[in-house]
Amino acid sequence: MRTSQFMAPAVLAAAALALSGCSAASGDGASDGPVTIEYWAWGTSQKPLVDAWNASHPDIQVKHTDAGGGSDSSAKLVTATRAGNAPDVALVEYNTLPAMIVAGVAIDISDQISDLSDDFAPGVWSQATFDGTSYGVPQDAGPQALTYNKARFDELGIDVPTTWAEFADAAQKVHDADPDTYITTFAPAEFGGFAGFAQQAGAEWWSVDGDEWTVNFDDEKSVAVADYWQDLIDRDLVLAEPLLTPEWNAELNDGKVLSWPAGLWAAGVLNGVAGDMAGDWAMAPLPQWTEGESAVAFQGGSAAVVTSSSKHVEAAAEFASWMATADEALKIQIREGQYPASLQGQELTLESDPPTFMPQQDDYWKIAAEIAANTIPEISWGPNVNVASTAFQDAMSAAVTDGTPLRDALTKTEKVVVDDMESEGFTVTAE
Amino acid sequence: MTAATETSSSVRIVRDSGRHEQRRRAARRPLVGSAVLLLGAVYCLVPVLWVLVASTKSNSELFTTLTFLPGTGLLQNISDLFSYGGGLFGLWAWNSLIFAGFGAVLSTLISTMAGYALAKFQFPGRQVWFYAILAGVLLPGITLAIPQYLLMSKIGLAGSYWSVLLPCLISPFGIFLARVYASSAIPSETMEAARIDGAGDVRIFTSVALPMMVPGMVTIFLLQFVGIWNNFLLPFIMLSDESKYPLTVGLYTLLSKGSGTPSLYSLAIIGAAVSIIPLIIMMLVLQRYWRLDLVSGGLKG
Amino acid sequence: MTVDVRTQTPRLRRSKPARRWAVPYAFLTPAGVLFVVFLAIPILYALYLSFRAMKVTGGGPFGVREETWAGFENYIATFTDSEFLAGFGRLAIYGVIAVPVTLGLALLFALLLDLPRVRAARFSRVAIFIPYAVPGVIASLLWGFLYLPSTSPLNWVLNNLGIPDVEVLTGGALFPAVANIAIWGGVGFNMIIIYTSLRGIPNEMHEAARIDGASEWDIALRIKIPLVAPALVLTGLFSLIGTLQVYGEPMTLRPMTNEISQTWVPLMKIYRDAFARDDLSLAAASSVVLALGTLVVSIVLLRITQKQAFGEGQ
Repeated sequence: MRTSQFMAPAVLAAAALALSGCSAASGDGASDGPVTIEYWAWGTSQKPLVDAWNASHPDIQVKHTDAGGGSDSSAKLVTATRAGNAPDVALVEYNTLPAMIVAGVAIDISDQISDLSDDFAPGVWSQATFDGTSYGVPQDAGPQALTYNKARFDELGIDVPTTWAEFADAAQKVHDADPDTYITTFAPAEFGGFAGFAQQAGAEWWSVDGDEWTVNFDDEKSVAVADYWQDLIDRDLVLAEPLLTPEWNAELNDGKVLSWPAGLWAAGVLNGVAGDMAGDWAMAPLPQWTEGESAVAFQGGSAAVVTSSSKHVEAAAEFASWMATADEALKIQIREGQYPASLQGQELTLESDPPTFMPQQDDYWKIAAEIAANTIPEISWGPNVNVASTAFQDAMSAAVTDGTPLRDALTKTEKVVVDDMESEGFTVTAE
Repeated sequence: MTAATETSSSVRIVRDSGRHEQRRRAARRPLVGSAVLLLGAVYCLVPVLWVLVASTKSNSELFTTLTFLPGTGLLQNISDLFSYGGGLFGLWAWNSLIFAGFGAVLSTLISTMAGYALAKFQFPGRQVWFYAILAGVLLPGITLAIPQYLLMSKIGLAGSYWSVLLPCLISPFGIFLARVYASSAIPSETMEAARIDGAGDVRIFTSVALPMMVPGMVTIFLLQFVGIWNNFLLPFIMLSDESKYPLTVGLYTLLSKGSGTPSLYSLAIIGAAVSIIPLIIMMLVLQRYWRLDLVSGGLKG
Repeated sequence: MTVDVRTQTPRLRRSKPARRWAVPYAFLTPAGVLFVVFLAIPILYALYLSFRAMKVTGGGPFGVREETWAGFENYIATFTDSEFLAGFGRLAIYGVIAVPVTLGLALLFALLLDLPRVRAARFSRVAIFIPYAVPGVIASLLWGFLYLPSTSPLNWVLNNLGIPDVEVLTGGALFPAVANIAIWGGVGFNMIIIYTSLRGIPNEMHEAARIDGASEWDIALRIKIPLVAPALVLTGLFSLIGTLQVYGEPMTLRPMTNEISQTWVPLMKIYRDAFARDDLSLAAASSVVLALGTLVVSIVLLRITQKQAFGEGQ
C-alpha cells in the first residue's frame, strides 16, 4: 500500500475496498495467529476500554494511541490516510464523520456491523449510517442538556427554566442580582453547541436528495436562534467569550457563570476545572424553543470507524462493535463519564451512581435517559463540516468582537460552505 | 580556549574601567543604565517566576488564588505529572533529549563538513550551493512540514523517531555559520603547509581544520540544540504515538484534549516549569561558549 | 629533509588532481543528500501540489474525491482570498511593533552591558537571555495567563487601587500583546549577538574618544553603533523573517480570545487549509506565495543595507 508514488485517494479507496473484500473472504483473521490493530482515540475512557478488550481477546490485541482531541485527531487521520498509515480503528466525532468519508478515511463496514442497528435508537444509528451504508459504530452520545449551578440558582431564587424565554428571564434576574454574574456564556467558537440549538429549533443546515445538496445556514429558524443570543448579548445578560480558558475557569469557580447548555459530557468537563464545586451543580433538560416540546439535538458524541489503511477490517470492526455494545465496555464508559450510544448502555446507566460532579442528584441518569429518548431522529451533516465549523467560528467571533449582527455570520458561513462544495465539484443549491 | 579569551577580555574591561574611575560624567550614567538593565531582567524573569509559582498550585487554586501567591499542590502536581499516562512525561523529556542531543551533534558535524568545503575550496557549483543554502535559511519551516510528512510516509518512516530526527539534521543556518567560521578561523597557509607535509584531505580536516573550528561548532551545536528542543510543528505533524512525543508536543496535548475533556492546565504548568529548568541551567553553564559574534561575522564584507 | 619534501611534492601534485576535485564534493555529500531529500524534493512536491486539486466525482451523496490538475486555480484562490490578504495586513501591524522594539531593546541592553562599570551586568545579561530557552508554545501559555483579567497580576494591582480590569486580549491592545511574546523571546538572543559584536571593537577606539571628552552617549552613537551595523542588519533580517513566519504565539492565544481568527496571520491560514480543511493544494499554493514573498523581502533588505551581503565574494 505504501509503495506507489503519490497515490490518489480514489486508488486508495479502491485498494481499501479490495482489501476489505479480501479479509472478509479469508474469514476469521485470528486463524493466522494473534493480530495487532491500532486505535486512535482521546478521552479518559479509552485506555481502560482497550485494556479490558486486550485482557479478554488474546487473538486481537489493540494498541491505543491518544492522537489529540477531536479536531486535532481528525486532521491527523486525514493526513495519515493520505500517507497510507492511519490506524485500523479511530474515534471520530459525529459531525466530522462525513468529512472523514469524503477524505477516504472511513470505509463502508455495513457487512460487518449491520446486525447492530437494533441496538441503537434510530437517531443515534443515523449519525454513522448514511443511505443504508454504515461507516462506524456509535460509541457515545452527547444529547444537549442544561448543566447549572443549583446552589446559586437556589440562592437567587431562580427556577430551572424549561423554555428559552424563561431562560432569558432568568438571565435578567441573575443580572439584576449581581451585574458581574452571568447565567451562561455564549461562546462564538462553539459550532457544535450553536448547531445543536438551531437543530432543536428545526434548522437543517445540510440536506441531500440523491446526490444533490441543499445548504441553508440562514433559514428563519437558525436566524431566530442567532437573534435570541444577540438579544442576550446586547442586554449584557450573557458572557460572550470563549469557554474553558483560564479566565472562564476562574469565573466559573468564582460562581460568576451559572450554567452551561451543552452535551451530557459537561459534568465531567466541569469536574476537571472546578472539582471543588461538586455537589453545587445539577443537570436538567435543555430549555425548549416552544413550550411543551421535548426534542433536543446532539452536541458531540462519537463513533468508532475502520479506516482505509486497515489490513484487519474484520478484527477492527469487531473491536469497534465491542466497545459500543459489550456490557463490560459500557460499564467502563459510564464509569468514566461517557453517556453510551447504545440502548443497552443507556439502560445500564440507570443502575449507576450519579457523576462525581453532582453526587446529590439521584435522578441524574433517569433524566438523562428521558433526554436521550427525545433526541431529534434525523440530523444530517454535510461533507465539509470542517470548512463550515472553521468559517462559523471566525464569522461568529468577528461578529461578537465587532458588534455586527450574529445572523450575518450565518449568511457568511453559508457562502463559504457553498463555495467550497462547488469548488470541490458537488451539486449544491444555497437557500 | 574561548573561555580563556572571554575571561581575559572581561578582565581587561574591568581594568580599563578602573582607570577611569574618577570621571564624574561617566560615573553617574551607569546607575541609570543599571536600573534599565535590571528592569529588562525583571521583564524577562516575571513569566518564568510565574510558572514556578503557579506550578505549586492545585488545579482549582490556579483559578481562585492570587497569581503570585504560592499554592499547596506542588508535591501533588509533581507526582501527577510523572504518573500521567503511566510516566509519559518522563518519556517526553527523554525524547526531547534524544532528538535535540543526537540531532544537534550530527547536524553540527554535517554542517561543519559542508561549511568547510564551501569556505576552503574553489569548485564548480559553489555559488549554486551558496544560494541554495541562503534560500533554505529564509524558507518558513511550516511550508515544508507537510510535503516532508508525505515523503516520510512514502518511505515508511512517518511516525518513527527518524521522521523527526532526519529533517533536523540539515540546517542551512548551521552550514552558513560553519562556512563563515571556517573561512575566518582556518588560515589557508596552515592547510597548504599540512598538504606539503603530505597530509591527506581527510587528515587535514580532522587534525588541522576541526580543532580550529571547535568554538564555532559549539555555537552551532547550542543553536541547533535549542532549536530542536523548542521545535513544535515538525514532531506535531510527524508523530502520532504519545510515547514518542517530545516535550513541546506532549505539553501541547495536555492543553488540547478535545471536547469532553478539560485542558489539564495545572499539569501543563508544572510540566512547563520542570522542562524549562534544565534548559535554563544548560544555558547558564554553557553561556560562555556562545560565540554569536560569528553570526554577524558573515556580514563584514 | 626539506629538499626531499620539495622533490616529492610535484609527484604528489601530479597524482592528486584526479581525486582533488572530488574532495569538496565529498565533504558536501551528507549535507547535499539531506538537502535534496528534506528540502529540495519537498519544495518541488509542494510546487506540484499547488497545481493540483481534489475534485468530487459521482458515487453517492459524499462522492469520491480524486486528485486532478487545477492549473492556477489555487493561486487565484490565494490572491482573491480577502482573509489571506488581511492576514498580511495584520502581520504588518504586528511586525511594525515587534521588529523595532525587539531590535531597539536588544541594542539598548547590549550598549548598556558594554558600558564601563555598569552594575548587575552579569545577572541582567543572563536573565534577559533566559526566555530564549523557553519554547514558544510554553511562552504563549505563560503570557496568556498573565494577560487574562482573572489571573493577571497587573489587574490584581489595579483592582486593589480601585481601577477596573485592563483587557489585554481585546481591542487595540491585542497586537502589542501578541508582539510582546515574540519580543520577550527574541530580545535576549539579539542582545547577545550585538553585545558580542560590541566586545569585538578594539578598546583603543573608545579610549581615544573618552580622552577627547566624548560622553558615553556620543561613543555609542558615533563609534559603537556604526561598528556593529552588520550585526544589526543580520538581527533585523532574522526578526523580519521571524515576523513573516509568526504563527505559534497567536495560535496558542487563539482559544483564549474571540479576536484572533483562524486566519489571523498567513501561516495560520495555511495551517487551517492544510489540516482543518484538508485542502493541501490550496495550502501549498499559499505556502509558495509566502515563501517567495519572504525571499523577495529578504533580498531587498539585504540589497538596501549591505552590498556585500553575507560575505560572498571574498
